[in-house]
Amino acid sequence: MSFREKSAWITFVLLLAFGIYFGGIARHAMNPTAPHANFFQLFVLLVVAIVVVEVITHVFIAIRSPAEARTPGDERERLIELRSIRPAYFVLLVGAFLSIVTMHLGVGTWMLVNCVLFAIWIAELTRYGSQLYHYRRGA
Amino acid sequence: MVPDVGASPVSNHIRRLRFEHKEMTQQALAERIGVTRQTVNAIELGKYSPSLEVAFRIAAVFGEPLEAVFQFREPVNPRRRG
Repeated sequence: MSFREKSAWITFVLLLAFGIYFGGIARHAMNPTAPHANFFQLFVLLVVAIVVVEVITHVFIAIRSPAEARTPGDERERLIELRSIRPAYFVLLVGAFLSIVTMHLGVGTWMLVNCVLFAIWIAELTRYGSQLYHYRRGA
Repeated sequence: MVPDVGASPVSNHIRRLRFEHKEMTQQALAERIGVTRQTVNAIELGKYSPSLEVAFRIAAVFGEPLEAVFQFREPVNPRRRG
């Protein structure tokens, strides 16, 4: 497995951690009266934790294959990155429009922001998932 | 001559040529043409069609003309690309 494929796997798996945040948001949206976590603190905590783990794991895999880590991606890796942007952009676009629709359903600004964040999260999962698909199945 | 691999319209003889050149490893070939070993593997298996530049580099490593390394076969029902 190449350095960049490992990197994509790490980022994809770490991104899944945001499911904790969006799961909490979904539960709160369905039952607003139930006690819930401080979502802002949870979000900041997740971002910091993910950045720290991302840096540590990337340093670890870079130490294991230093030559590959130093060199820029080759043409196949760049093609895979470009190909994965298309489905992710489509997901982001649909998510952005659906977020606008929620405004007309009477939800507040806070939920609108979370809808946009959710669209970005799904788009990023799509991007890295698509990269992994192309790495496995061929570009 | 039957190509070594051929899932994609572009097939190649890289695997045979590597063995004819002192059993050159995929890693050694990759370093000489400036790509990763995984990309050389994908090219060999027909999972990835390289750019002209990389194709010429591969041919130059083996000292062969391009058509001795790569072959193009017209698909029976080529999909329209747009």
